[in-house]
Amino acid sequence: MNIKNYISIILLILATSIASAQVKFEAKVSKKKLGVNERLRIDFEMNKDGDNFVPPSFADFDVVGGPNTSMSNYSRNGKRSYSKTYSYFLAPKKRGKFTIKQATIEIDGEIYKTFPITINVTAAVDKPNGNTTASDIASENIHLVAEVSKTNPYLNEAITVVYKLYVSLETGVSNWREKDNPRYNDFWSQNIEIKGLNIEKGEYKGEEYRYVVLKKTVLYPQKTGELKLEPLVLDITVEVPTNRRDIFGRPMMSKVPKIVTAGSRTINVKPLPEQGKPSDFKGAVGDYSFKVSTSKTQLNATESLQAKIEVAGKGNLNLFELPKLTVPSSLEVYEPEHQENVRTNLSGMQGRISDTYTIVPQYRGKYPIPSISFSYFDPDTESYKRITSDEIVIDVLEGPTAAISNTESSTEGIKQTINPNTNTFAFIKTTSDWSSIKTEPFFKSKGFWSLVLLPFLAIPLAIVVRRKKDERDADVQGNRIRKADRLAKKYLSAAKKTLGQKEAFYLALEKALHNYLKAKLNIETSDFNKEKIENLLAERQVESGVVSDFISILENCELARYTPITQVTMQNDYDKAAKTISLIDKQLR
Amino acid sequence: MRALIILLLCCFNTIVFSQNDQSFSEANALYNNGKYAEAIDKYESILDSKQHSAALYFNLGNANYKLNNIAPSIYYFEKALLLNPNDKDIQNNLAFAQNMTIDAIDNVPVVGFSRIINNVVNTFKTDTWAKITVGGVLLFVVIFLAYHFSYTTSKKRIAFVTSIISLGIACFSVAMAFQKAGLDKKDNPAIVFAQESRVKTDPNPSSEEVFRLHEGTKVQVLETYEDWKKIQLSDNSTGWIPSNDIKLLKFF
Repeated sequence: MNIKNYISIILLILATSIASAQVKFEAKVSKKKLGVNERLRIDFEMNKDGDNFVPPSFADFDVVGGPNTSMSNYSRNGKRSYSKTYSYFLAPKKRGKFTIKQATIEIDGEIYKTFPITINVTAAVDKPNGNTTASDIASENIHLVAEVSKTNPYLNEAITVVYKLYVSLETGVSNWREKDNPRYNDFWSQNIEIKGLNIEKGEYKGEEYRYVVLKKTVLYPQKTGELKLEPLVLDITVEVPTNRRDIFGRPMMSKVPKIVTAGSRTINVKPLPEQGKPSDFKGAVGDYSFKVSTSKTQLNATESLQAKIEVAGKGNLNLFELPKLTVPSSLEVYEPEHQENVRTNLSGMQGRISDTYTIVPQYRGKYPIPSISFSYFDPDTESYKRITSDEIVIDVLEGPTAAISNTESSTEGIKQTINPNTNTFAFIKTTSDWSSIKTEPFFKSKGFWSLVLLPFLAIPLAIVVRRKKDERDADVQGNRIRKADRLAKKYLSAAKKTLGQKEAFYLALEKALHNYLKAKLNIETSDFNKEKIENLLAERQVESGVVSDFISILENCELARYTPITQVTMQNDYDKAAKTISLIDKQLR
Repeated sequence: MRALIILLLCCFNTIVFSQNDQSFSEANALYNNGKYAEAIDKYESILDSKQHSAALYFNLGNANYKLNNIAPSIYYFEKALLLNPNDKDIQNNLAFAQNMTIDAIDNVPVVGFSRIINNVVNTFKTDTWAKITVGGVLLFVVIFLAYHFSYTTSKKRIAFVTSIISLGIACFSVAMAFQKAGLDKKDNPAIVFAQESRVKTDPNPSSEEVFRLHEGTKVQVLETYEDWKKIQLSDNSTGWIPSNDIKLLKFF
């Protein structure tokens, strides 16, 4: 049982070893792309001898030579290796894309086929096939390429340039140095250090190449318009395979010095849009966050606090100015300390920059730090963005009160300092005297002018009045007359009122006459008769005609009570009485 | 019985208290409770009734100061000072409010003879000078007549001297009244209300910027042209500012 197992395992191993010695049948062309005046070699290779080799029909090509058969057979470390090749030399008939179809062969009774190969025939070339020099081969197989991330960036938008050296699989580079380092005029540039050259595989124009990244640079265009990138020029030593072979059968390499340049590139820099450009825009392009902070908001006077303006994010961080801090003038502010923490990598600058201001309040009170705005252009959304910080109020709790000269008074020349003992913010007033908002000015009003000028008019007026009075005082005769008239009028006033009513009028008239006599002659009503009146008046040197008139009026008064009297008579009696009284008064001594 | 009397007295008081006094005390209560915004609304409702007082403006300034409104608080304190120039509380709180302003402007002091004259002119208001004039004139007329009509030499002498003196006072104070009216006309202060305002060389937006002013700064308005006002600062620099950026103090 055990032995059987072992045998089967050994058999299995043998079988697999036989299977691993696989048959290979391949077609290889010297070039897949050639000029119409060039030639092409195609090899059909197999690793085991076969029969009935059928080449494909080379319908689009002329067979210039072949088939040539070559065979090699050698043994290494007891292992045999065999190869047999059929070679044809072909010349294309015309331009175009052609397919060389499959070739078939029968090996060990089985039929094997190659893959079809597509050949691209282009226009005639200058040096057909002829002896290609090593430098020609080198220039065909070595390429220096500058890869630009964006060819139409905005002003101040980061772009990267990566220089790659492509080397084809056959050739090698033994030494290189930069001959001309490009200066990036009109750009702010930052070189990114490359640690060690890593060989990577990549494709260049559809063919497989190895490449190394030689140089990475981040650029920030500082000018708009078409800007030229100077090319990078490299001096390299290329190892090119020759047709000769060394004793081991490997192709001999010849070293060729070669200068390669990455062609100059043009960058079209777009200006930032004018539309919607904020007034506080200072050239920041990228993606940012903005923060204003203070180390404390409550403190005592003469203590210090830090206010920090910080911009963090991605973009041209050290190519713009931070917005300035504006604080109330009564705060002492020192020059800011600028800090940068910026890293540069292939996507541009990243990090944060900040200005730190040291502020020392001198007086107590509240000090607002007004909001600060920061604007930047976001090239991703192609729009301007603005971040506004919040207003911060610094409360200075204790300290001296500001002695600020009152500007109201200063314009008028009086300097007032604030009383230092009232160093607290005063409470509101609790009572109020209301006055109308619209007040009529007294000065220059009509009332003002009349009050100023009218008193002056009073001076001549008073003087004139005084003079008139003096004149009248001086006129003795006139005074007497005026006095008598006044007396008569005084006594007859009651009678005058009742003029027209017969009874009342004569009663009043009689009474008036009696009263007059009483006042003038000092007689009592009881001894009032006509004779006595006559005597008394005569004694006082009153003319007899006047006396008789007086008596007749008195008689009339008595008579009138019993006789009808007209209005006219009443008026006559009144006038007569007035006249008589005034005459008596004049003549009375 | 006593309670009834007190109640009646209270009712009587509320009737006597005008509407404004009531609003005023309500607003004061709001202020004391920290409701500054409501207090401001109440105070301003009093202003709508065309009545004002230094105390009202002072309280408005206080409430705005508590809310950190720089320009309005300075504006109202300055207004209160116009009505009551010698009030210590107003001056004190105005100094607090002015601490919040950003602009630092030097004062160019008025010196020499003009300062003395200004001092004298500013002793009284225009109307007070006018009243002194009227009083002086009346006194002069009365005493002059007394001089004219009195007969003894000593009386005449005294009356003459006093009448001349009072005439002198009247003439002097009328001159002062004119001077003060002229000063008042020239003195047209305003407060910057815009947070930041650009002052230009000419009254149009495209002209060159002279300087920038911030909220709360006091300026003197010299002249007006369309929507612009020519202003002067206390350091005598001048420029044109948009009318909307400032608020005149003497506009009642």
